[in-house]
Amino acid sequence: MSRFRFDLLLLLVLSLQLSPALSDLIISKLDRRIDLTSQIVRVTMTLKVENTGHDPVSEVSFTFPEHQANNLALLLAVSTEGKGKNRGAATNLPIGVKQPNDSPPSLVWYAASLPKELGKGESLNMDVLAVFTHSLRPFPEKITQAEPQLLLFQDSAHFTSPYNVKVQSLTVKLPSGNVESYTKLEKTKFSGSEIKYGPFENLPALSYSPVIIHFPSNKPFAIAKELVREIEISHWGNVQVTEHYSIIHGGAQSTGEFSRLDFQARPEVRGASAFRHLIAMLPPRAHSIYYRDAIGNISTSNIHSDSSKTLVEIEPRYPMFGGWKTSFTIGYGLPLHDYLFQSGGNRFLNITFGSPLFDVLVENLTLKVVLPEGSKDIYSSVPFPVKESQETKFSHLDIAGRPTIVIEKVNVVPEHNQYFQVHYKFSNISLLTEPLMLIFGFFALFVACIIYMHADLTISKSSSSYLAKLQWDEVQGTIQQLQDIINRCLLIHDKLEASLRELSRTGDVQACKAVRKSADSLLKDLSKELKPLLALLQSSPQAAHILPKVEDLVMKERDLQEKILLKHTTVVDSYERKSMSRDAENRVAAIQQKISALKQEVDDLLDFVEDI
Amino acid sequence: MAQSAKPISSPVPIAYYPSLAVLLLAVGLVITASFFIYEATSSRKNRSLAKELVTGAVASVFLGFGSLFLLLASGVYV
Repeated sequence: MSRFRFDLLLLLVLSLQLSPALSDLIISKLDRRIDLTSQIVRVTMTLKVENTGHDPVSEVSFTFPEHQANNLALLLAVSTEGKGKNRGAATNLPIGVKQPNDSPPSLVWYAASLPKELGKGESLNMDVLAVFTHSLRPFPEKITQAEPQLLLFQDSAHFTSPYNVKVQSLTVKLPSGNVESYTKLEKTKFSGSEIKYGPFENLPALSYSPVIIHFPSNKPFAIAKELVREIEISHWGNVQVTEHYSIIHGGAQSTGEFSRLDFQARPEVRGASAFRHLIAMLPPRAHSIYYRDAIGNISTSNIHSDSSKTLVEIEPRYPMFGGWKTSFTIGYGLPLHDYLFQSGGNRFLNITFGSPLFDVLVENLTLKVVLPEGSKDIYSSVPFPVKESQETKFSHLDIAGRPTIVIEKVNVVPEHNQYFQVHYKFSNISLLTEPLMLIFGFFALFVACIIYMHADLTISKSSSSYLAKLQWDEVQGTIQQLQDIINRCLLIHDKLEASLRELSRTGDVQACKAVRKSADSLLKDLSKELKPLLALLQSSPQAAHILPKVEDLVMKERDLQEKILLKHTTVVDSYERKSMSRDAENRVAAIQQKISALKQEVDDLLDFVEDI
Repeated sequence: MAQSAKPISSPVPIAYYPSLAVLLLAVGLVITASFFIYEATSSRKNRSLAKELVTGAVASVFLGFGSLFLLLASGVYV
């Protein structure tokens, strides 16, 4: 130890600019609490750092033995100013690994940078949280169904600090009041479910005093070997989260046979080390929740929701004993406006990082954030170091694929469930690509229909049936045109009648004459158009059987036309003479009768022709 | 999180998706029906290409948006 101090002093002498000697700092008080109530070991430390040297200090170092540092999932340091009720706001300190060249082997150093330098004689309160995984070793390593699980925990009663510690104590909290055995030092107290070591006074830097605690614990030992969490954003109003778990019971291996009967009869005794269900705490307003695996839906799940959270209790298909594995998928939708925000021209997703399952350690977490097609300038901000890459995912109605940001992290503990952000740029116009694709799809269908109807797919163009069909098509077309013309004629007739009614109302002879004039010219045109059609029908052998009817129709229509014109002339004439003779009235009445009869006939014939 | 962050929601309220789907699809199918009736009844000679294309285009706009909202309403968020 003295050699180590000497080296540091030498270094200081060699380069005055180097960070001040570690031994200038002392820890005047250190309280360490180790929580062993779950599979994840949480160490909280409250310490008071004092600067006894001359130079201001900007960093505080923590050291952990290498075997612990390998299992360190999270290290957080918070500094607070003042004491008791005058405690100021807590500031999170950035922490980085900083290995001095002359460090003793098998020690890992972490340095927390202080918000402001600690001057001579000043002191600072710090709270440190360290979370360790895989630190509890089951012993014995194999147990039967009926045996409880025993765990072994190993640490040092003295915190291996690089500074001298004036007073320090350690409290270990166990899941229950039972303990198999524990290391007894001179100052050791066991009360309730807590073992207290210390207080130890005036310990030199890097002092070490191993303690081993052997205790029963049947807390769920659920470890997710692999979790793939996919968050898919749809700007149509949904954030879809899909989580694929493969979970193992990481405690003592189950050995011997498993009796379902025993388990069912007395699960607390004959299956104490197993866990039957897991609880996921989903955000409020989660909807469309599902829980399934490769076989299909797993019906043993329950949902309780309120305004602040949605609790989902999921039960695997079988109770989980040590070493047993299961894999399943849970998925849920979240409302978009709770998680997606806009600031400036940027959009960002703000959502929690880790698994929603309670007290589950995730060994390998792969988080995929699938952004909508057309997103640009993507970057993420995660509050802790992660591995990041990008890929493309193809989903519904995609052309170029959706940009996906892939975040990977090992050893994720519930403390990592912090909010993180994914920023990107997206234009609302891109929202329209999906409906446009559907529209073009349908339009292509219609165009295909049109092409099919217009195309002539006959192979033998000279066969008689084909020619007959062509001729018949022509006849049909002609009849349709003819029908159209006659309908137009009938419309003009209606107009003439209407003008007569108008005349009787207003007595405006000129207007009535104008209508007559235009009707005359139109009717003339129509009869001209009619002639070639009729000629065509007469020449076509295919139309022979319907020709009489069509000719009849045309005749009747012409007759009707004449009568209506006659009626019109008579009425207008009498109006011009300002008197309606009895004779004229009779004539009009007679014409009107004929007109009605003819109209009926024309309508009947039209109906017939339409049926062809 | 930035102070000026504004939550983003969907362009059309989610609650309207099912009724929009039914309405747009109904209109789209009626227009489709009229398109096929026209195809089947008018003879090859006096069929108008412009009319066919316009009817088809209008029908596909309604069917396109209708099927989009049908997908969204049934939980397939495209």
